[in-house]
Amino acid sequence: MFHATKKPSSMTSHDRQMCVQGDSGLVLTTDPKPRLRWTVELHERFVDAVTQLGGPDKATPKTIMRVMGVKGLTLYHLKSHLQKFRLGKQPHKEFNDQSIKDGIRASALELQRNSGSSSTLMDRSMNEMHMEVQRRLHEQIEVQRHLQLRIEAQGKYMQSILEKACQTLAGENMAAATAGPFKTTSNNMGTTTSLVSDAAIKDFISPHHTFPPFQDMNNLFNSEPPPPPPPLIDCLKKPSPFISGAGKTPIFWPDDLRLQDLGTPSATLAPAPPPIGGAPDLDSLQLEMYESKPPPPTPLLAVGNNVMNEKKFDMTLKLERPSPPRSGHSDERLNSNNNNNGMANNNNPTMLQPQGRNSSFG
Amino acid sequence: MALAINNPFNDIALSNYSTSTNNSDDHRHLAGNWNYSSPIVDWETFSGTHNDFLDVFDSTICIENPPFLTEDRDEEDEFKGLRLYHLLIAAADAVFGDHKSCDLAHVILVRLNELVSPSHGTNLERLTAYYAQAFQDLLDSAPVSNKTHHHNHHIHHRDDHTPTDFLAAFQLLQEMSPYVKFGHFTANQAILEAVAEDRRVHIVDYDIMEGIQWASLMQAFVSSPSAPHLRITAISRGANGRRSIGTVQETGRRLVAFAASIGQPFSFHQCKLDSDESFRPSGLKLVKGEALVVNCMLHLPHFSYRSPESIASFLSGAKSLSPRIVTLVEEEIGHGPTIDGDYKVQFLDSLERYSAIYDSLEAVIPMKNRARALVERVFLGPRISATLRRIGQRRWSTAAMEENCLWGEKLEKMGLKTVKISFANHCQARLLLGLFNDGYRVEELGNNKLVLGWKSKRLLSVSIWGSSTSSSSSSSLSDSE
Repeated sequence: MFHATKKPSSMTSHDRQMCVQGDSGLVLTTDPKPRLRWTVELHERFVDAVTQLGGPDKATPKTIMRVMGVKGLTLYHLKSHLQKFRLGKQPHKEFNDQSIKDGIRASALELQRNSGSSSTLMDRSMNEMHMEVQRRLHEQIEVQRHLQLRIEAQGKYMQSILEKACQTLAGENMAAATAGPFKTTSNNMGTTTSLVSDAAIKDFISPHHTFPPFQDMNNLFNSEPPPPPPPLIDCLKKPSPFISGAGKTPIFWPDDLRLQDLGTPSATLAPAPPPIGGAPDLDSLQLEMYESKPPPPTPLLAVGNNVMNEKKFDMTLKLERPSPPRSGHSDERLNSNNNNNGMANNNNPTMLQPQGRNSSFG
Repeated sequence: MALAINNPFNDIALSNYSTSTNNSDDHRHLAGNWNYSSPIVDWETFSGTHNDFLDVFDSTICIENPPFLTEDRDEEDEFKGLRLYHLLIAAADAVFGDHKSCDLAHVILVRLNELVSPSHGTNLERLTAYYAQAFQDLLDSAPVSNKTHHHNHHIHHRDDHTPTDFLAAFQLLQEMSPYVKFGHFTANQAILEAVAEDRRVHIVDYDIMEGIQWASLMQAFVSSPSAPHLRITAISRGANGRRSIGTVQETGRRLVAFAASIGQPFSFHQCKLDSDESFRPSGLKLVKGEALVVNCMLHLPHFSYRSPESIASFLSGAKSLSPRIVTLVEEEIGHGPTIDGDYKVQFLDSLERYSAIYDSLEAVIPMKNRARALVERVFLGPRISATLRRIGQRRWSTAAMEENCLWGEKLEKMGLKTVKISFANHCQARLLLGLFNDGYRVEELGNNKLVLGWKSKRLLSVSIWGSSTSSSSSSSLSDSE
């Protein structure tokens, strides 16, 4: 998912045979100038060939090429790789989730092989360092992935609370609205307050549809007129209306829901859910999350296709988008899960994803 | 007694106080306590045990606005800030000092209320307003001579807030700042690692609130290879329970529904505290073969005040059960042999801390904003009250339990051993903070603590503890490759 790579299908990590003729393509990067990626397997074969030929000093690019028998491998590739190998430097390894164990095993084997050759103690510790670093990098990727899932789960839970509160309010509002026009002033205030508090709730459920980037929210906030300073005591005793009365656009509010619509409780309580197909591609979401914040392990995470927006805070908000359940949805989900004993929610593919992965993390 | 409300409080000089009240000796004594000699403050004298306090205070009090002591500001503003500051310290003295004087405190508070309001003004002004309110609460809640403050009928403005206000503020708090998520996720990660190989997990949660911490834990369980059965026992406060969004039962129902929606085997139980809020382990239902986890969230911004006796009884009860792991989240207050007995330093430390929190919120949302005002009103105000109560408790209580300011240290004294924060956990915290403003920092303290801070000020800490008797599995999963 992270890389546009193809691995030679006939090669496995256990394949120590040399001279596999006629195998499929090598791994090339997608740079404008295609460069060869020294995958773990390829490097293993290289090392095998070199050892067969009597060590890095004895082997020559030509002989290595002949022994390896890999199509598409040129002398230039081998020359530079051999030079690096001779200097004891490890080429940059490529890891993805499936091959992490292979990678580490390969590194360990290489460690053994290197110790057989003329490498020094420093080379060995450098190898170990490389292994450690790569292990950490991998762990970091895992952490990122899990973090995203957990934030989503929290968001989902929060949404369920908000929706329930909204429904409760709806009930109260209906009752209050039908109570008749003859109310005392305080009652009116109460109703307005509850309606306005409802608006406050709607603010945060409206992320269903459009969620402005976090930076832009500052602009929305600034458009609010500064409130008249209420006396201190009043501030303490009574929850002041969250939005000043005149029906101005409140914060977070998407264009389709306006304050004046609050007059009809039914309108406020049935936000038009976006079409299910509009749920963003979760893979791209993950990539967006990685993309916007420049993380240390950049080479492994540079995908760069679906990023629309560099803003960091987008990620927190966008993460909430695919998961929030609509009220209809959550019932559906509950029902379907009553039938499928403990099967994960089908509507939310992120939940399924980690089960497919072989991760020992959490 | 003659309280001169119209007195010359406009001048900062404390020496003026002595002319306006009867307790002139006390004020000079108070003034002496603070080494205060002139209206223009000699800041060095405030440093005392607090090195670089001024720098920290300056740096935390304003991010976008210049510190109130630079020449760029108006003289008036500058003096106003100073005035507020001195008034606060004077109030602290009046309330906590050796010569406690409620009358003086009232006078100071009236003056403060004239100057500031909680909903507009600079960070310092709003913060001061909430401190004034907190002092007021403290004075109102108990008579002067009463040393025991753990009655639950204290005035708590939070209960006046509607559930919708609470929810809105909570949602805002979560989006603006990482405090809640940091505490929850770090604790959850430690729990996950500790019970990685167990089939049944039992969590005892001291203050479950709305249960959101367990949503992400359940999700993690569902996707983990061991997929254990989860049982949560929530400790509830009996008759005095505050209603945040609903009762503990409602939280339980919500969690059950959520667990069902993601396919996590789950059951929920409740355990009531006694009427004096002490915890009896026998009230818990324990099942053999379960990994026992104790979760204690104490000072997250949306949490309410808990009396130290209650917390202490819970922690010692928990320890007696030999849990696999204990996760503790508390505010990171300054502590140490010189500080523990010194209310002044504790007070200033709290001032710094809340300034930092205010600043961290401001960095996300600018000052004159309703959203922030809501969060401040619903959460931070009560938190400030709770902190002052805590300082008061330490000041007036003679119980031995008050020796340690940090509950983590208490756990250590009880004999729990530390559990190292794994690389993965630390990594997760850093990544989480990366989603928020750059000002947040995470650092590892001791060998089992992760501390969240804003700029240079430490705010919230998560510490992990394990029993010396029960076996705890290895922390880092990468070792099990």
